[in-house]
Amino acid sequence: MSQRPVRFMLLTLSLSLSSLAAAQTEVTFWNTSTDPIDLKGYARIVDSFNKANPDVKVKMVQVVGAETDSAKLMSAVAGGTGPDVYLLDRFTVAERASSGLLTNLDSYVKADAGLSAKYLPFAWKETQFKGSTYALPFDTDVRMLYYRKDMLKAAGVDLAQFDPKNGPISSKRIMEIVSKVNKTDGTGAYTQVGFIPWYGQGWHYTWGYAYGGKFADATGCQVTPTDAGVTAGFQFLADASKALDPQKAQAFLSTYAAPTNPPAQDPFITGKMALEVTGDWMIANIKEYAPNMQWGVTYIPTPDGKKVSWSGGWSAVIPKGAKNVDGAYKFIKYMTGEAGQSIYVKDTKHFPTYKSLLSVNSLYGPDQQFERALLPSSLSRPNLPVGALYWDELTRAQNTVVLGQGDPASALATAKSRVQSRLNRFCR
Amino acid sequence: MRDSLKLPDAPLVPRAGLTTDRLMGIVNGQIVSRLIVLIGAVLFLLPLFWMIVTSLKPVTEISVFPPTVLPQAWKWSNYTEAFRAIPFARYFANSSIIAVCSTIGAVLSNFLIAYGFSRIQWRGRDTVFMVVLATIFIPFPVTMIPLVVVFSKLHWINTYLPLIVPSFFGNAFFIFLLRQFLMQLPMELSEAARIDGASELQVMRQIILPLAKPALTVVAIFSFINAWNDFLGPLLYLQDERLYTLAIGLQAFRSTHDVQITLLMAASTLAVLPIIVLFLIFQRSFIDGITTGTLK
Amino acid sequence: MSLQERKNMLLGLTFISPWIVGLLAFILYPLASSAYYSFTDFSGFGAANWIGWDNYTRMFDDPIFAKSVYNTLYYTLLAVPIGVVMALVLALAMNQRLREVALYRAAFYLPSVLPIFALSFVFLFLMNPRYGLFNYVLGLFHVAPINWLGDPKWSKFSIVLLAQLGAGQYALIFLASIKAIPQTLYEAVELDGGNGWHKFWYITLPLITPIILYDVMIGLGSGLQILTPAYILTNGGPVDSTLFYVYYLYKNAFSFGDMGYASALSWLLFIVSVVLAVLVFRTSNRWVNYEANG
Repeated sequence: MSQRPVRFMLLTLSLSLSSLAAAQTEVTFWNTSTDPIDLKGYARIVDSFNKANPDVKVKMVQVVGAETDSAKLMSAVAGGTGPDVYLLDRFTVAERASSGLLTNLDSYVKADAGLSAKYLPFAWKETQFKGSTYALPFDTDVRMLYYRKDMLKAAGVDLAQFDPKNGPISSKRIMEIVSKVNKTDGTGAYTQVGFIPWYGQGWHYTWGYAYGGKFADATGCQVTPTDAGVTAGFQFLADASKALDPQKAQAFLSTYAAPTNPPAQDPFITGKMALEVTGDWMIANIKEYAPNMQWGVTYIPTPDGKKVSWSGGWSAVIPKGAKNVDGAYKFIKYMTGEAGQSIYVKDTKHFPTYKSLLSVNSLYGPDQQFERALLPSSLSRPNLPVGALYWDELTRAQNTVVLGQGDPASALATAKSRVQSRLNRFCR
Repeated sequence: MRDSLKLPDAPLVPRAGLTTDRLMGIVNGQIVSRLIVLIGAVLFLLPLFWMIVTSLKPVTEISVFPPTVLPQAWKWSNYTEAFRAIPFARYFANSSIIAVCSTIGAVLSNFLIAYGFSRIQWRGRDTVFMVVLATIFIPFPVTMIPLVVVFSKLHWINTYLPLIVPSFFGNAFFIFLLRQFLMQLPMELSEAARIDGASELQVMRQIILPLAKPALTVVAIFSFINAWNDFLGPLLYLQDERLYTLAIGLQAFRSTHDVQITLLMAASTLAVLPIIVLFLIFQRSFIDGITTGTLK
Repeated sequence: MSLQERKNMLLGLTFISPWIVGLLAFILYPLASSAYYSFTDFSGFGAANWIGWDNYTRMFDDPIFAKSVYNTLYYTLLAVPIGVVMALVLALAMNQRLREVALYRAAFYLPSVLPIFALSFVFLFLMNPRYGLFNYVLGLFHVAPINWLGDPKWSKFSIVLLAQLGAGQYALIFLASIKAIPQTLYEAVELDGGNGWHKFWYITLPLITPIILYDVMIGLGSGLQILTPAYILTNGGPVDSTLFYVYYLYKNAFSFGDMGYASALSWLLFIVSVVLAVLVFRTSNRWVNYEANG
């Protein structure tokens, strides 16, 4: 054989071998979102990543059934058929990590200098467990006080106090201010109410934080629901409930705000409630279901004029048993990085956790400016391996208090003892 | 046991003719019972009525509280929108395949198994049957994950096998149901045929099977509907969107902070229509088997 | 064992063999693994460390466990008798000699096949304290309105009522059973001058006792395992009045990452249910007529 065919053969052989080595790897990405707009945003991120990275192909699969229990994820990972990338509620990262469900990302993150500083501090905090990183923060939200200008005006309440320029309204006076909106019928049942602070996103965390409380200590090994601030927040709820009469308030909620009412029938949207503490997603709901409503947003009422809010949001994780961890990390770094988050924020009107994006004006509409300014100082819930249990117990304590069946101190003490006993298992 | 069938001692009432009084009695009875049944039916139809009414409202009408009884503007386009929002036709086909196959499995296997627990006398039969009963009381959350592990090991995940194959191995509810039915048939029927030289299979096919038709129809209907509406099974075992069923597809209208309730109701109505049609067809077939006075 | 007995046993076992295979493949492994996990601190994933009886003793100190037991037993004691009666009444309605009876049958059966969240929206509205049909009817009798789902005293009963919407499927089973009763027996009653009540009490009722037993057992099982309405309608509230046993179990398994405790909870439920079921079944011979037993 002459030299040339041999060299040609060797060339083609080596080329094909190297293309084998650089063959496309696949990454399976399970998306639990069902919102069509959000899904489009994710799809765009996947597309643009795939284009920019020909060696990794991300396949997005929509899986239903999210909320706080991830039965499907757990079963799939247990059976070895889990995905490479999953979207996890940031609040549950510590819990899932402690169960052993998530891949430790330290080896990747440590090689990526300065990564943590690129994210909003409260968001990064939630990705940590026992000093290691288990998730990368994705989007976030923020809570504020929505108020109905029309209902307040009709009741003769001065709207100027609600202007955010004047800072938060005092929580000591808010119930009294809007009591003018309360209307009852012949039997004494409420047909309209000014404010029910524990409705919507008026959770325990909201008012605990509003009153400067701390829910866990710095070590993450002690829960502190009996902290003075948290107790004061619960006392605020107890007082508000008493002012409204607990039974009557409950009857009002059962009538106009049943737990499974569709968001379209939220009492704020149907005009039965003048104030509601809820998240930025309410804006989209208002636009869809009551586009002609006259409304505004301001800060959550606090006792001392401080501007307080807290945020949740999603994160990207790599479950244990992922078949392509390298490819998965490449993708989540992109998705949660500047490129991915800017696509998502622009498409969906959610908020980013990537710090620098907060100052990119083109990403935000005129109705998002208030939230944008509020985000950098927002808080997040403590990242504990007992997060879901703690939430459950705090809710139980809150319900006890607002139904007038117990005082804040004892309800919170009960919550503390129950949660602490479970938390102790992780802190030996 | 036979004694309970004894009638009270009653004097023989002379058979009166069709007097006007008697006629009025019959008519009144009919009217009264019709009225009661009608009221009950209306009450039970309220959910479907509500679904349909909600599905025809425009989105902005949903936020009217208290809700309007009839839509102010009839938005038929909700149906086309719902149909297009998810791959409706494909999900429909998938649900049908799973439902039909598992119904076949359910009717076949449960009949055989229930037969074994009722029409044959064998030692220890009723004790083993207690085990069947016991399995009805296993709470599902703890079997969820181990079952996924089992199916993963068999490489059945992301196929329809975990949804269909188990129905060929019996279902405690249906075994129990059919066993109770088959125990209602006198043993003499089987024994007479056996004495005449019939094999057990022949006894089963020619004597018992025709009499079990009403019960088997019930099993078929229930099995189909369970499979059609099953959400947890497809959720845990399917990972490819092309395989998804209607039950999963319906979840697409519910997201974390919103529920597209008009589309959801439209899709749910579409999803329930085939069941209604199937029911109307099948319930006739077992009603036609009512002439069981032929138990001699 | 005589030859005939052995033959019969083999025959019987052959007929039930599919069930035996299914039991071994799909039931015994999950049961065994959950039994094992109940003695560990298994989170649902990863390591499972043996902790002995800790999960079981923990139940005695757990007031929420106690509450869930109370709620579930209360619910079951209400739901089972009401359910059986309701199913019977519906079955009799479905059995009427009316031309349009097929439509009535479909109407009564329909709610059983509707997706639960569609049902829940409707039901929520029926039970609305102000605008709901239930309180409207109460008002006609000058009874004060009840906060059906929002009052801890009434919430469990409200869920029992919701469950009756699903009575159609049990009614269907009763109907099939009633249809299997020979007409000749009814004719005999007529000949002796009996009326509808006699027909029901002396013929229908005794002969459908096997199905009544079925309904009682199934009702017992679904009552003790009630989960979905609490999950969808009430989230266990108000004040834990609808926090049922399996709901609490489910939360432990999939929210709190406490699969070990959840496994222990399910085994306790399983054992108690089986004991109750065996009791009901064993005592059923006194009131159930099986023609096949002569």
